[in-house]
Amino acid sequence: MNADYAVWLRGIEKQFPGVIACAGADLRVRPGTIHALLGENGAGKTTMVNVLAGVYRPDGGEVWVDGQRRFFQSPADAIAAGVGMVYQEFRLVPTLTVAENIVLGSAPRLLRSAEIEQRVAELSAAYGMAADPNRPVWQLSMGERQRVEILKALWRNASVLVMDEPTAVLTPGEAAELGVALRAMAEEGRSVIYISHKLDQVVAFCDEATVLRHGKTVATIDDLEDVDLTSLAEMMVGAAGGGYGQRPPALEPGPEVLSLRGVSALNDRGLPALSDIDMTVCSSEIVGIVGVSGNGQKELAEVVNGLRRPTQGRVMVKGQDVTDAPPGDRYRLGLAYVPEDRLGVGLAPKMSVVDNAVVRSYRSQRRGLMLVMDKCIKFCQDLVERFGVRAGRLHDPVAGLSGGNLQRLLLGRELAERPAVLVAAQPTRGLDVQGVAAIHGHLVAQRNDGVGIVLISEDLDELLALSDRLLVMYEGRVVVEYTPDVTPRTVIGEAMAGQVRA
Amino acid sequence: MSEEALIGLFVATVQFGTLVFLAALGELIAERAGVLNLGVEGMMAMGAVSGFMVGLETGSPWAAFFAAAAVGALVGGLHALVSVVLGADQVVSGLALTIGGLGLAAYVGRNVVGERPETLFTDLGIAGLADIPWIGEIFFDQPPVVYLTVLLGIAGWFVLARTRLGLAIRAAGESAPTTDTAGHSVMALRSGAVMVGGACAGAAGSFLSLYMAPGWVEGMVAGRGWIAVALVIFGAWRPGRLALGALLFGFTLALQPRLQSFDIELLGVEVNRISPALLGILPFVLTVVVLVIISWRYRHRPSPAPAALGLPYRREER
Amino acid sequence: MIRIVWRPFQALAGNRPVLARRENVVPATQAVAFLLGIVVALILGVILLWTSGHSPAEVYERMFDSAFMGTDSLSRTLERATPLALTGLSVAVAGSMGLWNIGAEGQMMAGAIVATGVAMMADGLSGPLLIALMMVSGIVGGMVLMLGPALARSHLRVSEIITTLMLVYVAIRVVEWLETGPWKDPESFGFAVIEPVPEQAALPGLFGRANIGVLIALGLLLVFWLAVSRTAWGYELRLAGSSPDTARYAGVSLRRKVLTALLLSGGIAGLAGAVQLTGSAVRLESGLSNGYGFAGIIVAALALMRPSGVAVVAFVFGAVQVGGQSIQTLGVSSAISDILQAMILFGALVAVVFFNYRVRWTGPGGGSSSADPAEPDPVEPDPVEPGPVEPDPVEPDPVEGAA
Repeated sequence: MNADYAVWLRGIEKQFPGVIACAGADLRVRPGTIHALLGENGAGKTTMVNVLAGVYRPDGGEVWVDGQRRFFQSPADAIAAGVGMVYQEFRLVPTLTVAENIVLGSAPRLLRSAEIEQRVAELSAAYGMAADPNRPVWQLSMGERQRVEILKALWRNASVLVMDEPTAVLTPGEAAELGVALRAMAEEGRSVIYISHKLDQVVAFCDEATVLRHGKTVATIDDLEDVDLTSLAEMMVGAAGGGYGQRPPALEPGPEVLSLRGVSALNDRGLPALSDIDMTVCSSEIVGIVGVSGNGQKELAEVVNGLRRPTQGRVMVKGQDVTDAPPGDRYRLGLAYVPEDRLGVGLAPKMSVVDNAVVRSYRSQRRGLMLVMDKCIKFCQDLVERFGVRAGRLHDPVAGLSGGNLQRLLLGRELAERPAVLVAAQPTRGLDVQGVAAIHGHLVAQRNDGVGIVLISEDLDELLALSDRLLVMYEGRVVVEYTPDVTPRTVIGEAMAGQVRA
Repeated sequence: MSEEALIGLFVATVQFGTLVFLAALGELIAERAGVLNLGVEGMMAMGAVSGFMVGLETGSPWAAFFAAAAVGALVGGLHALVSVVLGADQVVSGLALTIGGLGLAAYVGRNVVGERPETLFTDLGIAGLADIPWIGEIFFDQPPVVYLTVLLGIAGWFVLARTRLGLAIRAAGESAPTTDTAGHSVMALRSGAVMVGGACAGAAGSFLSLYMAPGWVEGMVAGRGWIAVALVIFGAWRPGRLALGALLFGFTLALQPRLQSFDIELLGVEVNRISPALLGILPFVLTVVVLVIISWRYRHRPSPAPAALGLPYRREER
Repeated sequence: MIRIVWRPFQALAGNRPVLARRENVVPATQAVAFLLGIVVALILGVILLWTSGHSPAEVYERMFDSAFMGTDSLSRTLERATPLALTGLSVAVAGSMGLWNIGAEGQMMAGAIVATGVAMMADGLSGPLLIALMMVSGIVGGMVLMLGPALARSHLRVSEIITTLMLVYVAIRVVEWLETGPWKDPESFGFAVIEPVPEQAALPGLFGRANIGVLIALGLLLVFWLAVSRTAWGYELRLAGSSPDTARYAGVSLRRKVLTALLLSGGIAGLAGAVQLTGSAVRLESGLSNGYGFAGIIVAALALMRPSGVAVVAFVFGAVQVGGQSIQTLGVSSAISDILQAMILFGALVAVVFFNYRVRWTGPGGGSSSADPAEPDPVEPDPVEPGPVEPDPVEPDPVEGAA
């Protein structure tokens, strides 16, 4: 029986301080199949595969690989057992070459670079995954880096390949190529465990599936052809209603509150990230920015908020040129920002709830040189009440709050002083259904109140449910504008891949 | 200035170069694995005193040399335990190692000040080569530690650049999670590298007390440990450049006590009127300049400094 | 080759230790860690003294008496604690922004150099005026030495750890140069020493050997505490130190904050040099900084960069140093005080780790055996729920897993 499964994780339990990540979850994967591991954020998917990869030791449960019970003490043990893991955040050393990265951990005792590069080249040719063995990894694109990760697993002749959210960084074209490569591996008898949120891809690529919810296995599907997208989605979120509500009726847009004229900017690596962006946001409207991640959305938000200098073009808030203004000045003019990195950019993790509540407004809590603590606390209490933040003690570090409460605190702080424009980047990523609903409610209420909102998201459904207008970004440009009501999803999808149909 | 004095200067340059190179090679290995160890000065002092005492006791300079390396590795092991295994701050731990190491060396060696072992390292002429004028005397009529250090330098380069272990060490210094998930134990790699670094520093200390001084007196390391730390940066974390830097720094160290006797003019400056103290500034100032240049040149690409240098790593943190 | 270290161990014990974060962090403070560090250091000291044939009780009694018993002893402790508190504060100012000033030792020297130079030029001034002038020049001196590292850090992101450290020896060598050359005292009968500071520049005494440097240090600690915890400037400093990206987002100029924190840090260390010069030293000499700058780093680290902690730790370290000096009459090397200081730090560092983590022995049992009986029970293993939709969930097979 056991030999029937390439991988069998049985009753896995894993607890972290304050979080139960897995509470007896199961996962069985047959050899030669591509197995989807599904579930909402926090359902325990990543914990499960980290147990399989030897990164976490389970508190309880059994790990079986190739019909043998395994006791992984470290990633090395898992690798030796044939488990190859491709992490969501790539585990590559930027300064080492492609070849060095591929052989790291399983290199011959002596490195003969010519020989190794030769063998790496052969391997990449065999699977149709082009990679120059000689180049340092920091010069590669995200898609190329992922190829290196997969080659790394193949180099160790992994019989089980685990891919955690592999397509988040890929264009649809690259994602399709990945699907072909994975299928080729499955046909050789390897098993692939594929974690993804993108259900359409799951259905297209995978043979079988396991659905996790709250750290437990809620469904095991032997043949994905028997299931449709809606029921898969229902299994992930539990009862029906995981979808988003009806789009609120559009309002008459008010005056222009934010505009960009011919804005270009570079990314962190000094390469062009935005080119010649023109866009306008009026009060009382939500403008959705849609695109595969890494097409300039992050840089756009940063340029608007003064965290990145444009190389060209002007940024105006309420008709005033703020291109050279620091972020604080922009905020005082009425530009609020909910950044993608909640903890680390939006909030300072080690500082208290109070300290974080006044990040934007501490200058107005002063008397002379001194910061008036009573005023700060009062401000914070108001915020916590108005936005329903469950914050525990106000003087404890904010890092102890749950994702939903962090986001309520952050959004509340940005809205506290009645901005004219709000830029919200990935405001609901990783939140539970309740949290998402609360954030959506606030966004719509603010729009109805006259705020102009730029909503950047990777969740097309969210954008379709909230936006009054949709701008599609591709390779640093706004390639087309759509009206969500009348545009089919497929058209938007193609535009995200750079193919604009009028 | 006589020819003899000039040869003496270069002979001393090679010896001082050896001293700082050996200590810096160890620090380089530790830093390439991602551990900054500011305890070199303390480890050298411990090596100097323990080597000297073993030399007194056994009369064998080699026994003393290896004992000093072992003591250095042990002292380095304390830094590894505190900063690598337990994940405390590397800067603080390393400084405490220097302060405590200097103190312990002074304490342990209080009764051997002024003594002299029967046998010390002696110069070992390499047959055939030692007779070459100038070159022979400077490079091939040196104590065996000099030759051993050259071999260690080559071995260090070879291991780092050409072996699986070296690849793992370099990876551990760039990205600990990557190295860990690739199946190498970051803790073992880093602890090992720090202990090897300690052994090198300890051995260098004994070269000081058993050949260069020779003798033991409190404070005899006199900042050479810090020069070794500087040298690693000056050498941009590469063994080859480290060797070149060692000769340059060794030259400034060798020149300092001799400066007064050189009555020549260089670039319009009378050399013997330069203060030896100001010459002693040179390695540190050069290192700062090199560091600034590196930061400027590499502002758009990964710098040669190990990316994870100074960052502790613990696996199951969440 | 490294694996060899672990394999036999594993084979013998069948399991190995890992550090696991505690479910409930031990509610002990840094103060407890510091006390534990002292205990650890004292125990190690006992072993050291014993093995070298001294009576630990006698030595410790002498150390304690000479540091604490009587006003003269206390005044000596305060005299030593003053530069430690100032360098500790210097390191803490940079540290509260997440920066390391490893060069307080050198900045002390730079401060003393400039203060001496000013005193040479203005030795006609009255006492208070000259002292004030020398204090200001001390601050300027420390800042000047810090200027390069601060600018390199704020504008080029050059690690301040290395640059500040490198300049320590630059400053010390400059003093050596001044001693032998430009500032050599003509009345020193050939000794390479600099002439003593003018008599009227000596800091007024408080009692015994303690001078008003103690008050300067305490006052600065108070000001710094107020500034960091109660002003908008301090809020920005904490924000920038704890989360630089958040600070940028809040409109705080990181460059300016890095620059001011480092320059202030350098200035305070420079002031320590001027206080030492006018308070305890006779003249500028290469031994003036005497390791206070390096010890200040340990003081600040033990104090977690907090001003109140700096005061306490500096006092204890001052006592250890005075005690170390006093036992020389018993024939014990004063080096013991350096060993004790380092061991206090190591002991405290280790204690802090064990407040937050416990050792867990993981064996081949798949799970982990816990060494901590207080660990909460793991979650009840729930049977696998069938999914809510048509596809048949695979039934758990009861026979399997009996391996």
